[in-house]
Amino acid sequence: MSKAILTDITKCIGCLKCVSACKETNNLEMDVPRIWQKNDGLSSENWTSIIQKPDKHYVRKQCRHCLEPACVTACPVGALYKTKEGAVVYDSDKCLGCRYCMMACPFGIPRYDWDEPVPYVRKCILCYDKLKDGNQPACTEICPEGATIFGERKELIITAHCKIKENPGRYINKVWGEHEVGGTSVLYLSDIDLGFLSYQTHIGNKPLPETTAPAMESVPYAFIGMGGFMLGLNWIIRRRMELNKKQVKKEEPSDE
Amino acid sequence: MNRVQNTKLVLWIVTGFAAAVGLNRFIFGLGATTNLTDSTPWGLWIGFDVMGGVALAGGGFVMTAIFYIMKREEFQPFVKPAVLTAFLGYLAVIFGLMFDLGLPWNIWHMIVYWNPHSPLFEVGWCVMLYTGVLLLEFSPVPLENYSRYAKIRNFLMKFRFLFILLGIMLSTLHQSSLGSLFLIMPFKLHPLWYSNILPVQFFISAIALGLMMVSLESLVSHWLYRREPETDLVAKLGKAAVWVLAVYFIVKMVDIILSGDFAMIADGSWEIYIFLTEILISIFIPIIIFAVPRFRKNNKAQWIGSFMVVFGMVFNRINVGGLTMLSVTGDSYTPSWMEITISLGVISAAALVFLFAIEKFNIWELKPHDPESLPHTAPSFDYSSRVWLGTPGVSSLTKYSLAFIMSFAIGMALMPEKKLYGKGIEDIKVSRASGKDTLLINGNRDDNFVEFPHKEHKTRMGEDQCTKCHHLTLPKYQENSCWECHTSMYKPVDFFNHEWHGSDEGANIKCKDCHTAGVIRNIESAKQCVDCHPKYKFSALVNNNLKKYYTLSYTDALHKLCVSCHTLKSMELINKQKLAQCTTCHKSELPEKLNADLKWATTLPHFNSVILPVIDLETNKRDN
Repeated sequence: MSKAILTDITKCIGCLKCVSACKETNNLEMDVPRIWQKNDGLSSENWTSIIQKPDKHYVRKQCRHCLEPACVTACPVGALYKTKEGAVVYDSDKCLGCRYCMMACPFGIPRYDWDEPVPYVRKCILCYDKLKDGNQPACTEICPEGATIFGERKELIITAHCKIKENPGRYINKVWGEHEVGGTSVLYLSDIDLGFLSYQTHIGNKPLPETTAPAMESVPYAFIGMGGFMLGLNWIIRRRMELNKKQVKKEEPSDE
Repeated sequence: MNRVQNTKLVLWIVTGFAAAVGLNRFIFGLGATTNLTDSTPWGLWIGFDVMGGVALAGGGFVMTAIFYIMKREEFQPFVKPAVLTAFLGYLAVIFGLMFDLGLPWNIWHMIVYWNPHSPLFEVGWCVMLYTGVLLLEFSPVPLENYSRYAKIRNFLMKFRFLFILLGIMLSTLHQSSLGSLFLIMPFKLHPLWYSNILPVQFFISAIALGLMMVSLESLVSHWLYRREPETDLVAKLGKAAVWVLAVYFIVKMVDIILSGDFAMIADGSWEIYIFLTEILISIFIPIIIFAVPRFRKNNKAQWIGSFMVVFGMVFNRINVGGLTMLSVTGDSYTPSWMEITISLGVISAAALVFLFAIEKFNIWELKPHDPESLPHTAPSFDYSSRVWLGTPGVSSLTKYSLAFIMSFAIGMALMPEKKLYGKGIEDIKVSRASGKDTLLINGNRDDNFVEFPHKEHKTRMGEDQCTKCHHLTLPKYQENSCWECHTSMYKPVDFFNHEWHGSDEGANIKCKDCHTAGVIRNIESAKQCVDCHPKYKFSALVNNNLKKYYTLSYTDALHKLCVSCHTLKSMELINKQKLAQCTTCHKSELPEKLNADLKWATTLPHFNSVILPVIDLETNKRDN
């Protein structure tokens, strides 16, 4: 049931049709370079962008829709959540603007409405309204080269591996997003290293929610343990003080 | 008592200044007041106010544990101030958070919508519960002053031990959960700070910090009210802190060695220096000071030692809270003066409440003489102005409110207009070429600079032509852009690829090879094609057009939407080569009437100003 997007870097011609389709579908405004933007083209009004790399490589950046998203774990009120269709979507009514999701994301995807007095977190939502009705997202729908395609995640992974086998030498033998941070719903086939899409080149296969899980699971034990420890300490100290007093009383008459 | 009054005056000034900034934060948003960016979404307010504030409030749970649980009766004078500091610290954290949150009026959502997997959820609940518990712990003190609330007070006193216990338990969770917040960022946080046991490290360091915070606070308030410093008690706290700091150091070092990051110490990046400084300030020097009995019992050494721990540990919180992520995120964040002002303002407000409480309630065994409530018979004059400001109480009130209002007004006046109305549109970086009049303009934000000889422009245009670029009625940053005069900056592509001729990979010829030196560089001053390519034969018509007809490069001209032309337009056209001609689409129409597929691109401002002339392709005649 989990849907996904497979982007083939070698096919992309950098026409930016996906960017304009995204803007149209999600009613995003024109984008002006702002001081708070990172230079990867993403912003609160640009949910997908094309990064130009040397030798005519165009890499489309968008939310990776992780299978176990760090942002969903991070959000204290559950404003971000993963739907069964695979999209990580955002409920602006719940959000309180702590921006912990932006801190947690290993790909640096969520963006903020910095210039608004009432700001929200903005990011690709895999055109969830279209997804619900069984349609595909605007970007994959419009791609003229078939460089970015939509489908079942399992099928896309098989397709990707087939492509690698069928065209030896065309791709690096790796499907980006198959295993990283527990797998993502946006996959890449490429002939260049795509490590620059995340904060570190090698981000490993461990899902990020697992890093906080041990700490969160030990919360009740720490709470009760500390209480017990303090009570025990208090009891021992009081007992010792009582004993001391008794000893002093006993010793006092003997001194006389 | 001047010392107290002057301190209060300064605090009121800072608070007033911050109030103005805070008001602007809510009117114009975070972008207008902070230097936060998409890659640095947490800045000073989280790193210092929240992380540091909570850690500073650690004195509350440490002192209650020492006094009520471990029954060390001699620390009795420290307990009430410590609980008060903790309570005020938490209020300050919540208050400071109100500025940092994007939607602070939604903060109650934390109670309704639950996500128990989130460390921030734990943090939020701990803050709420612990602040409540601290209120219950502390409220018997002010209630002492009012006999009609005796029942409530007695009720609270009955459950005091329970509150204390609950407070310690909640603090344990809260101090450690601030560390858990950063467990989810293993790729961003520098490995020297990132650790799987970050929560444990935070908890241990909070104990040390709590002990030293209580000491520092005792030293400061006793200095302020000219009291005999509690040297012996502070020395005892220092002795305890040595052990805690030693444990903290061992835990930290073992963790770094086990995770294999110790080799990093040698790699010489700036984080290493920060790390060593942090260790030195927060651990080594204080341990030396408080381990040597001669220093431990010395008032000045106590000041230095306790301040170093407090400073070093807050520094640690700032490092974890974002400073050491900067090299990974590739961002350069320095807090704006408005962020710093609000941070200082929150602290000042808390300090004012602290001083108020100390003077009004029985927090110390001997209440300090409140300079404002002393009975006065003779009126005192302000000798600078020769105006009687009223009785001491009234006069200081007048002074404080005046200070507050004045600094509020100054704060309002100092709001940078650009930040507020420019809505943060990025400036094109201009810097001065070293030793020259020339300015370097980084137009494309890619660090490839264009030279702008200012003096040459002045002499060529005439001294009285400044207004052509600089508008006296407009702010400095709204000067004319280059293209408004140099309309021929666009690269002619139909005949000539300018970029290729100039680039290293292309013809690699210098500007002066084609353009005559000392003359404005445009197509008029350039060589003809035939001068370099003698074999090329251009008709007079083409040569004439070359001088008049400029257009954008393909990617600019086609609005970066190559495919909309190649898929849609090419189907309509029989002669597909015509696609290379702009006029195939631009039939002297206004941009609004363009093909729907091109419409999005035409919303870009500078495309609207370019209306291309029509050339009849059959005859190549220009039609004006």
